[in-house]
Amino acid sequence: MRISGNILLAAVLLFLIGPFVIICIAGLSAGETLSFPPQGLSLRWVARVFQVESFRNAFALSMTLAIGATLAALVLGIPAAYALERYRPPGAEVIRNIVTAPIVVPGIIVGLALLRHLVIPTGIGVTVALFIGHTALLVPYAVRVVSASLVNLRPDIEEAAVMLGASRLGAFMKVVLPNIRSGIMAAFIIGFITSFNQVPVSLFLSGPGVTTLPIDMMFYMEFNYDPSVAALSGLLALMSLAVVMVAEKVLGLSRYV
Amino acid sequence: MSDFLKLDRLTLGYGDTVAVEGLDFAMQPGELVALLGPSGCGKTTTMRAIAGLMTPMGGTITLDGRDITRVPPNKRGVGLVFQSYALFPHLTVFENVAFGLRLARVARAELTQRVDTALAATGLLHLAQRLPRELSGGQQQRVALARSIVVEPKLLLLDEPLSNLDARLRLEMRSELSRLQRELGIAMIYVTHDQSEALALADRIIVMRDGRIEQSGTPDAIYERPASVFVAGFMGFENTFVIHNGLLAGIAPIGFEVRDAVGLAWRPHSVVLGQGPHRGTVAGASYLGQVVEYLLTTPLGDIKAEAPASAPRHAAGDTIAFDLPEAGVVRLPRA
Amino acid sequence: MFQDRRIGLWLLAPATLFVVVGFLVPVIILLSGAFRTDGGWSLGNYLDFFGSSLNREVFWRTFRLGLTVTLVSAILGYGVAMAVVDKGPKTKGRLIAMLVLPLMISPVARTYAWLVILGRTGFINVGLENLGIIERPLRILFTETAVFIGLIQLFFPLMVLPLISALENMPRDVVPAARVLGANWLTVFWKVILPLTKEGLVVGGTLVFVGSLTAYVTPAILGGSKVLMLETLLYQRVSVANDYASAAVIGVILIAMSVLTNILLKKLASVRKA
Repeated sequence: MRISGNILLAAVLLFLIGPFVIICIAGLSAGETLSFPPQGLSLRWVARVFQVESFRNAFALSMTLAIGATLAALVLGIPAAYALERYRPPGAEVIRNIVTAPIVVPGIIVGLALLRHLVIPTGIGVTVALFIGHTALLVPYAVRVVSASLVNLRPDIEEAAVMLGASRLGAFMKVVLPNIRSGIMAAFIIGFITSFNQVPVSLFLSGPGVTTLPIDMMFYMEFNYDPSVAALSGLLALMSLAVVMVAEKVLGLSRYV
Repeated sequence: MSDFLKLDRLTLGYGDTVAVEGLDFAMQPGELVALLGPSGCGKTTTMRAIAGLMTPMGGTITLDGRDITRVPPNKRGVGLVFQSYALFPHLTVFENVAFGLRLARVARAELTQRVDTALAATGLLHLAQRLPRELSGGQQQRVALARSIVVEPKLLLLDEPLSNLDARLRLEMRSELSRLQRELGIAMIYVTHDQSEALALADRIIVMRDGRIEQSGTPDAIYERPASVFVAGFMGFENTFVIHNGLLAGIAPIGFEVRDAVGLAWRPHSVVLGQGPHRGTVAGASYLGQVVEYLLTTPLGDIKAEAPASAPRHAAGDTIAFDLPEAGVVRLPRA
Repeated sequence: MFQDRRIGLWLLAPATLFVVVGFLVPVIILLSGAFRTDGGWSLGNYLDFFGSSLNREVFWRTFRLGLTVTLVSAILGYGVAMAVVDKGPKTKGRLIAMLVLPLMISPVARTYAWLVILGRTGFINVGLENLGIIERPLRILFTETAVFIGLIQLFFPLMVLPLISALENMPRDVVPAARVLGANWLTVFWKVILPLTKEGLVVGGTLVFVGSLTAYVTPAILGGSKVLMLETLLYQRVSVANDYASAAVIGVILIAMSVLTNILLKKLASVRKA
């Protein structure tokens, strides 16, 4: 039983992770077209990734978008989660359902809805709409993760802080925030990754000059069969690996499972 | 002399429900008052209102000559020890205790000295760098206490502070609290549902019931002369009866003048066994050394009686006569 | 201290306002299009949508893929989760990190890797040709199989992580106890492990099924225009034909299926519990 379990585990891990190894190697190919095993090894396609202007612009947009939308979602979500957990105002459950609704709606619908019924009628830019769409998508994560860490924190420590002379805001800053810090960091990592890798929401909100990295990669691979997307994919996989390792070090990911 | 703390027609509640109605109450500097009552009687609500954690629906609170009814909790100079201790999980014992002093921007040297003094007074000096989760319940309790007294509040509120400790630790902390209160001379309000704690600690006990004060007085006065059937029951009178149509519990004649009492109570040692007008069946007997304690099943209800160990014994199942005499009766003027 | 509900409402206002204006209103306007034709409110769009055999085919394919991906993930998931739970804390942490890793990597990168493996000049075809097993490259790409493989890789972690957590929370001794009583492995699984971990299975199952229904990147890259799923169909209808009515219908179908799955699986878990 134990042996067959380990064989299965190894096979599944190979299935999950193997493709990333293959794509990293394919990205190091010296050949003109995508193939595996590669026709010789070189860094030419890795270098090419940094030369393609659309990749550079898309990377910058995706980065800005991911950080901006995650921060915005936290700025909106932390007070909301706090209010839902502590004040329980009238209609709290209805409001909770509203702010977590974006998780239920497929991203492609969100993107299309924002294009048709926000961008076109109000004339706001597509970039702003992208920012709104991504933020709306991340608010539920922020509310959920922060709520979960607030549930594990006794409300009376805030009262204790106030009784010792802190203002309400002071009590929140000095007593609540430090204790939900790992929850906020987890929410930030989840939010960043979700936004950075997001395709469906961005699909209809991309236009000339405004393209997120994953969308740009999809466009590029439609017309090119060279290993540069493989090289870029490999780089992104390595970036994610770094994030996971840092998260595991800082937060102990296994505790969140 | 004006009162140190004065509650005037204080009314408290949440939404439409009124938890405390028209409460009047005054206490003197340095006094230790116990607010005693069953859960839901409004004692914790009253305490939270004094702390400023809830806003009264009506009435005023005056502390040391100043109307604090609308003063926010952090500007009242009132300390509160929570039932759950409410220690800050991310701060060391030292930083927990220093929290209030840091907010008051006390200079570093003075801060260290005052925290150390408070830690020494509560026997925590050697644990200063620990985190709360590394402490036992009793140690956490001491940290909560040290954290509250180090800022020198005018008034310290304690919300069932010993209820989460085991019996031995509770006795130990009880005498510790009493010592600290004598040394600091600080006025305290001690909220509890445990009458023995109130009797042991308080200068004055206020028994609360359904959001009102049922009786207020020294521990002796309340223990000896409970003002109502409710207080008698709560103070541990085992045998308490209401008078109905001039009859005990509505069924048995009373052999003496009841005056204006609506209820009568006897302690177990005042019940006379072996003679008298009432009959009961022995349901159980426990030998306690000096005395034997009997539980009787009677038409009046269960009765607990004590007899000297030297007296003739009764066995379970025996039917015996007993008397509830005027000597030893406590007349209860209210229900 | 938290009795002043107005403060609570003020704290909720920004997030609520943002989600309502920036999400809810546009989405509702869009979805309401599914119930409108020129003549006013009607269900005509649904009749039109399901009138097309292509659309019906895409609908069933989406449903079928969602179901098979969920089932296969669940079966593999139990095996993997049980193997992981057996390990010591350190190994377990590493294994969980390895299982989480694919979730963190861009789905485009993830799916692109399968192009390299399954494509005409990919790993599998080149390998098989070199071994002389096949003469012409197999067509794996742009088939339902390719989409299935991609979806399994994408969503398997969402199944296995809740299962690991459920197995961890299972009382330690129940499996040895059942074994001592003479139950074989299959009985132990059906009678002991499954009932005790069904909450994890429900969470994982919902995530995987709903995720597969609403997947876009995988069918777009590995299925192309030949193997459409509902989301790729939606994109095609809008970008090729400006067909917003069909888009709205697909949106309503996807949301309804997600919500129904949620309710159904939760019911299933709680009914069995009682």
